[in-house]
Parts: sequence; structure tokens; C-alpha cells
Amino acid sequence: MEMKPLFLLLLSLAGSALAGTPYEIQDILTGNSPSASRSKEWKPGSGIPLEVSGMDWTAEGKLALAIRKGEVWLVDGVLGGDADKVKFNLFATGLHEPLGLLRDGDSLLVTQRTEVTRLRDTNGDGLADEYLTAGRGWNVSGAYHGYAYGPRRDGKGQLWVTLNVDMGEFSDNKAAWRGWAGIINTAGEFEPMAAGMRSPCGLGANLAGDMFCVDQQGTWVPTTPLYHLRKGAFFLNPEGIASQNLPESPLKLSAKVPEKIPYPEAIKALPEMCPPAVWLPYNKMGRSGTDLAVCDAKGKFGPFDGQMLVAEFTDAKINRVFMEKVDGEYQGAAFPFLRGLASGIVRLLFAPDGSLMVGMTSRGWSSLGTKAYGLQRVRWNGEMPFEIKEMRALPDGFELVFTKPVDAKACGTAAAYSMTSYTHLYSGAYGSEEIQAEAHSISGVTVSPDGLTVRLKVEGLRALYVHELHADGVRSAAGAKLEHADAYYTLNRIPKK
Amino acid sequence: MNARALLGFLGLLWAVPLQAEPLVVAFERWGATQPSAEGGRLLYNELGCVNCHGGSTGLPARRGPQLAGVTQRVQPEWLRSFLSNPAAAHSGSTMPQFSSLNAAEDVEAVLHYLGGLATKPTKKPKKVGHVNAEHGKELFHTVGCVACHAPAKDFQPAEGLPKPEDFTHPAIAFPQLQQKYGLQTLAEFLRDPLQARPDGRMPRIDMEESDALDLAGYLLEFASSDGETAQKIHPFAVDPALALRGRGIVAAAGCSSCHELPKEMGAVSVALQSGAGGCLEGNAGRKSPQYQLGAKQRAALKLYLAQREKELPQAQLVELTLQALNCAACHERDGRGGPDAARKAYFQGDHNLGDTGRYPPPLTGVGRKLQPEWLNDVLEGKARVRPYLQTKMPVYGTATGGLAALLSKVDARSEVALPGGDDAAGRKLMGTQGGVGCITCHRWGGHAALGIQALDLSSLGQRLQPGWLREYLVNPAAYRPGTLMPSFWPEGKAANSEILGGDTARQIASIYAFAKSDNGEPEGFPAVSGGEFELSPQAHPIVQRTFFAGVGTHAILLGFPHGVHLAYDGKTGRPALAWRGRFFDAYATWFSRFAPFEKPLGDAVVKWPSSGGETVRFEGYRLDAQKVPVFLLKVGGAPVTDRFDAVDGGLRRTLSGAAPALNALGVTHPAGVAVHEENSDSKETRIFTYLWK
Repeated sequence: MEMKPLFLLLLSLAGSALAGTPYEIQDILTGNSPSASRSKEWKPGSGIPLEVSGMDWTAEGKLALAIRKGEVWLVDGVLGGDADKVKFNLFATGLHEPLGLLRDGDSLLVTQRTEVTRLRDTNGDGLADEYLTAGRGWNVSGAYHGYAYGPRRDGKGQLWVTLNVDMGEFSDNKAAWRGWAGIINTAGEFEPMAAGMRSPCGLGANLAGDMFCVDQQGTWVPTTPLYHLRKGAFFLNPEGIASQNLPESPLKLSAKVPEKIPYPEAIKALPEMCPPAVWLPYNKMGRSGTDLAVCDAKGKFGPFDGQMLVAEFTDAKINRVFMEKVDGEYQGAAFPFLRGLASGIVRLLFAPDGSLMVGMTSRGWSSLGTKAYGLQRVRWNGEMPFEIKEMRALPDGFELVFTKPVDAKACGTAAAYSMTSYTHLYSGAYGSEEIQAEAHSISGVTVSPDGLTVRLKVEGLRALYVHELHADGVRSAAGAKLEHADAYYTLNRIPKK
Repeated sequence: MNARALLGFLGLLWAVPLQAEPLVVAFERWGATQPSAEGGRLLYNELGCVNCHGGSTGLPARRGPQLAGVTQRVQPEWLRSFLSNPAAAHSGSTMPQFSSLNAAEDVEAVLHYLGGLATKPTKKPKKVGHVNAEHGKELFHTVGCVACHAPAKDFQPAEGLPKPEDFTHPAIAFPQLQQKYGLQTLAEFLRDPLQARPDGRMPRIDMEESDALDLAGYLLEFASSDGETAQKIHPFAVDPALALRGRGIVAAAGCSSCHELPKEMGAVSVALQSGAGGCLEGNAGRKSPQYQLGAKQRAALKLYLAQREKELPQAQLVELTLQALNCAACHERDGRGGPDAARKAYFQGDHNLGDTGRYPPPLTGVGRKLQPEWLNDVLEGKARVRPYLQTKMPVYGTATGGLAALLSKVDARSEVALPGGDDAAGRKLMGTQGGVGCITCHRWGGHAALGIQALDLSSLGQRLQPGWLREYLVNPAAYRPGTLMPSFWPEGKAANSEILGGDTARQIASIYAFAKSDNGEPEGFPAVSGGEFELSPQAHPIVQRTFFAGVGTHAILLGFPHGVHLAYDGKTGRPALAWRGRFFDAYATWFSRFAPFEKPLGDAVVKWPSSGGETVRFEGYRLDAQKVPVFLLKVGGAPVTDRFDAVDGGLRRTLSGAAPALNALGVTHPAGVAVHEENSDSKETRIFTYLWK
């Protein structure tokens, strides 16, 4: 064998995660730690340790950032496009791991471990001088996992807060409201609304004003769920259910919490249990969902107005969720959206200009990306991505709406699609495999005359199962492949017509 | 064979030659332009010729990888393709091709024989953790992998991508790693390559398990973060009959000349007939292993073989050893070696230290610079003094066994002895209190330097030889071109004439004596503070919430510049603890995942007893113009404010509110302080002073 040395310069493969997507990631400020994210000796690098844990816009258009060490910063110029011109001004200090921030009139509300606090600058010197208790009433044990998140406002103006269950030393999940969501009432007290959460790290209302929250895979939670929060609902994790015996509880489980049975059976065994509106399957959609942001960018973020972007920690990526109502209940589909962010994403917030702010910190766990924390911004460059924009359930299948007209020939054949469905085991174990997986045959495909909609007739739909679609054969009229050909529909209910 | 498939991996910046010719990097770098006997000696050793044909090159033994367990480390499918054509499966491989493995069934038989050498797993396979291939990419391009292997195009070094033409010599190619390894076995290999390849040609860089996984994830282009989903090594079932036949093939081929195999497979010794013919003419006999030697390689080997009985001067032996182990990829010695212009871009470190902060030190005269024990410790990975270099000095195992002694011998010369030193004077010289201030730039043990963070001098007495130190200090730039280190004894004249009368030799001897002694540290380090995150109130009070022992989960700490401090309980709305001295170390509250209930840093802690008074509702606090928080309370629905100020030797507390509310509070006072209530004109204000006794 005689081969001449070849000196080839090849195109990059590994760094092309973003090639093709019209969503560009811009660094505002990111930083590294000299130690690994799980290290006991973790410390930040030089500069502001921008472990973003809460974000909102002030009345003056500054970005208010809560960071985990307990500070609030007001950031000027983030939308200017030049990261060097961004100015950071310290607004509040000494807080106890604030994990959420919301502007309320001339104040900022932050949720510390122990309370919601109203921060206000009354003398105009740019620094908060009022730190007033604005919400309280849950137990804090000192366990590291006893995080508190929010507040976020729903369509009725109610302020919602979510509370982790405790884990580790000092844990006390029998004490008040661990693993619950609630509102802060006018007396400044936590008013419990819904139970059954594990680590409900982010919340937000959709355009209709209904409140949702993202929980995380772990004990009793097989994979990341998105809950529609409302009074009296129980979701998945019963570790904090003891609080149902407190007088303020809006909920009393009428049956024993089942265990080690498939999720669709568990739902039947426990009447108060409400299914998540959407499941985000493990690994396929990342691992730990952390926040949601509803797109209301009036077209400035592409074709996804009204949809949710869901932040994910471990894989440092952002997924997209489309929801519809079937029989009055939310359900819908999750789609991959964007990967390649710098660190574990904890907060998402749309900017007034339709770009998306991404707040990150990987401390305590680990994430993809090369930074330990920071702030990035995602902008749409105006090119229409070729994606499955919406996926709706039909009595006998699904309807796919695309962002661009499809090639009727390529997409008109059942071979262009494949579908499986599965559920999870409901148990106290940490996460669950996908179980009872089945392939579905696609028995009919109809492409709409405008090429934007495809109806799939799918055999054997199963209520309460996740239906995973691969539309690998789909091509746009221009011959392009989908940027993401997979979609995950949580079919809680099969529409009757 | 699909050339693109072989190269498609990683998108390499510097293309790796797709070649059947075995690659010995140092030969390509220095030996190929003008064939020489030395280059031939290097090849004779590095291609393993010496392992069958005998003689002594004086160079560290070049061996093949461990074969026991190879089917558990490497995919059997890949082994098949490698055995049948090593150079096609791994470009530039030094493993020759064997004509006895031309038939697929013979390859299969050998594979089954190798499968039978499997090692018993000692423990249950561990769960594969989190994988971050992006981080792996960063490691690959910074810790030193690219000194030998090709960097990828999509990694941008700080000063930009080097030009392809600046690479002066080829890089060592990878096989198709995705076909060869599983994620976990590649990570295990990377964590300690010396296990599988004890000959040290792939040295070990000390790294965490998670770093090895990230690195493996990068090399395998593993996109997910969940290592459990990665490809594993396919189980291989051994057919004993085939294995027996394979054993015969292995024995006949003399594999054990290079590879460690069971004893009964004794090495084959083949006397060389002459310095010509066979491999050297590019037509080895049908039975011989086939090396696809290039013309220059053949020429060099001939030159060497013509005089192979001749002993090589030890200085040249050192040079060839550094070439064989590719030390020369990173280190320059006597004007030769070190990274080429292109690869320099990947050597990063502390830019405040200039070139010395990023490039490994030169090895010129290293045998007289370092003490032999220290040099040996460096080679064994026990001693490292340049944590700021991102490129890590690896460990070569037994291959460097005699290297420290050889270097000491070759570099030795007669040294001018230092006079007796005075270690007290040395201590003064190194400090900033009237000395030359070494610690301004150099670390000392656990102490950070005062300015830039140059290497730790606390081990200087164990590390350096006095004769070299004396010359170096008089003219550092002569020994470390580009160093920021000035001379404090320019042309031999001491800049400091106060200490020891400005006697250069005695001053240097004293520095050496002090460094060797156990007599403390140089003067001038700042007084020890708690830690990087200790809160020390300066102009204003500091407020910090935390979990606090003796207070609970709602503690609000208040530190005053005057050295008196308070912990207020935000749950009960009452003061809880006060103390004096240092305030608080915020490290765990700010940055620990498992923050404990914290404690005061100071002393004289006093505690307020609990009150039988009315339940207080805590409403927050307001900072006044002096940034003192005024705590806002409701007592029976009526507003009360509680304010603390620092006074000489204690705290002053002002409670304000309607008289009934103040009365209902049931004010208590800590034991251990003198309590004095000031007379107040108003019934709506009560003022207490607490002074430590």
C-alpha cells in the first residue's frame, strides 16, 4: 500500500452547533471558575460573579439581575449590541440566595430563601435603601435544597412563588409548604395553591395569563415536566404532601399515593393528580428544565410568538413548547430549539426588542458549555428557520404546521415520518426509563394545498403517553431538511373531534 | 480505503499525513533533512527494530501496548482492521504489518487469542458521569495534547489560528477513535495511558476523572451530556480452538519481542545479516514484519547500522532521549526544540509573567540547575512549581528512569562554591522590609506574591543547585531569555549594599541558606486575613443574610467598621447575637452549594435571651443615610423601629414606637455586657447601651 501524505484542511465539525440556525448567541458577560462546578471549594473568577438567578426589566429599561451570592445589579446597555459598552451598577446586597426577580412599579421583588423582599431606591442614589418583607409564610429548614423561586405574575395579577422540597442535612419536608406553589396574598402571606413539586425552578404565565412552572427530573419526577399551576392541583412529588393537613391547604388527596406503576395508571389511582401539560423527555430534551419565557416578540424573534421557550441546565440548551387546549386542558409538544449556550441556563427573559436574555450558572451541578456563569443574549437574524412550528393532536393523529411550505412529494409519504409512544414509571426512584414503548404506523398523510400543514393519520394513539415524532423525510419546497426533525407530544387527551 | 473518512475526524487545523510510513516525530523534525547515524539510532529504537535485532541504543525501551485486556479496551472490530493493516487503521503507526495476518481467518484467530488474555474486571463498572465535550476541547488544546497531536480548526487560541505553514513537523495522527474506543475506555486510557502503554511514548497528564471523560467526549465527538448513553465496548466471546490457533501465529510472529505476553511466548531474536537488504531496500522477506520505511528513514538506518557498535557520547544520548520521548515538543535545550511557531499559540498561562508564564522552561543545563533528587521528582510527577502554565508536564513512567542521573552527569561542570550563608540575612533580603523583595513577584508556600504570581520560592533550597543559582541571579536573562526577572546583582554588583556589606556571593549564599532552612518566611506579607471572602466593614456597615448558628435560617448580620457586630433574627424580629473583632466570612453563604449554619469570626459573643413579650412581625429594614439598617417591626399591629449603632466598646440600641407597643415588646438584654438605659424625654423612644465588660 503506497499512500501519498495528504494535507487537507477540513471544515470544522464540532464547532458548528449553531451553523444553520438563524439564532445568534452574543456574550454580554460570562466568567469562569478556577474550580469544577461541583467542587466544595468552588469560587468565582475575577470580576462580578454573574451567576444569574433572576431577571426583569426596570421602568427605565435597565436589566435588573439577581445573582446567587445575594446581589442585585442594574445593567445598562445590554441591547446596544456592544458588550464592551454594557455597564453594571450594584443595586442591592446582602440577600440570601435570591432565585427570582420581578419589577413591581418602582420596586423590585426578589425571592430570597426566606421571603419575598421589596427593594426600592427611595432617595434616587441608585442603591436600594428599602428591603421590605413582601411575602412570607413557608418553612426554611437550612437544607441546601430548600430553594424558593419567583415571583411571577399571572393574568389576574396574582404573584406566584414556588418552593423546592428539601434534601440533605436539616431537611424537613413535613414543615410548611415545601414542594408547593402558591400566591402572595395582599397581607403578604404565602397562600398555597398546588402541591407535588420537586424542584420547580422557574415559572411564568402564558399569553392567556395562566401560570406554568418547570419542574426537574428526580425523585417521583421521571423527566422534566411543565405544569399548569392552579388551585387544588397535585402533580408528581408527594414528599411535601404533609402540608395538606394545614388549615390553609386547598387540597386533600383522596387516595393513597400509588408507587411503582406506569404513570397513566397512577393518574387513574389518584383523582387529584393532574398530568403535566408537557413532558420534556430525558436526554432528548436535556435533563433539568429550569425556566420558561413566553414569546411575545411581535415577530421579532421569528415565528414563535405565543410559544414557550424552556431553559435547560445540564445541556445548556433551550427547548421550545407549543401548547393547545384539549377539553379545556393544556397539552402540547416540545421541540429542540437552540444549543451551545455558555453554561447551565437558569433564567430566560425576553427583551423589549424581541431578543432573549439568557442567565446562567452551573455551580453545584455540571453543565455543558465552557463557562461557569454569565449572561448571554440570543437574537434572531431575520431568516425564517425551517421548523415544525406547531403540532396539534387530532382524533386520529397529529397536525403539523411548518414555518415554510414543504415539498408535497417528499412529505406526502408515510415513510417521511416515524412515531413511537411511551410513558414512565411513577415511583420514588430518581428519574425513570421510558417504558411501554410502542411504534405507531402512519396510515395516511395529507399535505395542505399551501404546503404549510401536514396531517398524519396515526394508528393506536394512547392517551397520557408521550408521542415522539421523527419527521426525517420532510423537506421544504426549496429542498431543505428540518433544523429539528424530532418533536415530543404529550397526549394527555385525545380530542374527540 | 477512504482517505476522507480517516481524516474527517475533528476538522484538523494541521492535516495529519495519511501515511503508511511509520512516524517518529523527532526524526521528521530533525533527522529527515540530512540522514545521519543519530537519526538512524532513533529509528532503530523507536520502530522497535532493536527489540528483535538486538544491540543497545541506550535509549528508553520502545514497547508495544499491553495486550492483556485489549479486547475490553478497544472494539474488536477495530482490532481486526488494525491487525490486518496497521497503517491503514492508524496512519503513521509504528506497528508493522505481518504477512502471516493476510488472511481474515488468521486475523480472527489472533483476535481470539488476544481475547483470551482478558483481565478479570476487578470491580463493578462505574456509572459514567457527566460529559462536557466542549470543555474537553478546551483541555485538548491547552493542557498539552496538541504538542504532539494536531489541533482542530474550530478552536481559537487567544492570538488566533496559526498559519498551516508554520507547523514545521507533522503531528501524531489518531486512528478512527469512534471505531476504536468506547467513551469510558478512552477516558480510562487518557487518565493513565501508562497502564496500557508503559513505554511512556504517550505520557500521563494528571487529571480528574471528569476531565478525562470530557476529553474523551471531545475526541469521540460525543454530543450528549449523559455518559451512560455512550457507546460501550462490544463484548467479545473467545472461541478456545481459534484462540489456540491464534497463539501459534502470535508465537511465530514474535509479537512478544515488543508486547508483554505470557512467558512461554518468548521473544524472537533475529540476527541482522548485514546492514542492507530487507526493510532497508523496501522489500522485506515474505515472513518478516513489513515496515513501509521511507527513503530517508532507510538511509538513516543504514548509516546507523554501519556503526552501531560505536558508543554514542552521553550528551548526544541525552538529546536523542529527549527526542524519543518528544520532550523536545515543549522544551528547548541548547537551542534545539520547543514548540514551533504554530504550536506556540496553544501554550497559554499567566500573561502577567510574559513568555515564562506560558512556555515550559528550557532544559539547557537543567542537570546542573536542579538538584538530582528534585529533577527525578519532576520526572516522576512529584514536584511541580509552575501552576500557572496551562500546559501540564506529563509523567513518562519507567522511560525516564535513568534520565535525571544522565542529565546531572552530562551537565555537570566544576562550580564556584558559594561562601557560607547567613539565613537571617537571607530572610531579610528576600522580603520587602529593606531587602530586594523577591516576594513582590514570587509566591512563598501558601502566600500569594504581592504583585504578579511568579513561581514559589519556598522550595528553592531543595530545588536548585547553588552554583547555578549564583550565576542565574547575576544575569537571569542569560538563562531564561524573555524573563521578567531583573538582576539585583547586575554584573555581579549587589544593588543592596546594606545587607552583608553588599557582598554578592554572601548575599546569594544567604538567600540559599534561608530557603534551605526552616526559619519562617520572608518579611512583608500582609497580616493574615480570614479568607478571600471575609467581610470587613470599612466605610459603612455591612448587612448580610445567612443561616447562622444560634440565630437560625433568617439571620441578618450587621457588621460595623468599629469592630462590633450583630446578628438580628428576621423571623422573630429581635436581636440574637453580638460579638467583637472580626465580622464574617461570607464564602459559604455566597458560593457553597451546602452552606452550613455559619458562626461569628470574632469573639466575646453574647446572646439575647428569648422574650416572653408579644409576638413581633418582622417587616424588613430601611437603610439610613449612614447605611445603618433600621429594622421595621409590628408589635400588636403597631409599628416599632429597632436600630443599632456602634459606639466605643459596644452597641447602642434605639427602639422607637408607641409606648404600649414598646412595653409589649418585653425587651431583654444579653448577659456578658454592661447594659445602660439612657434617660429619654419621650416615652416613644428607649435607648440602651451595651458595653462589653
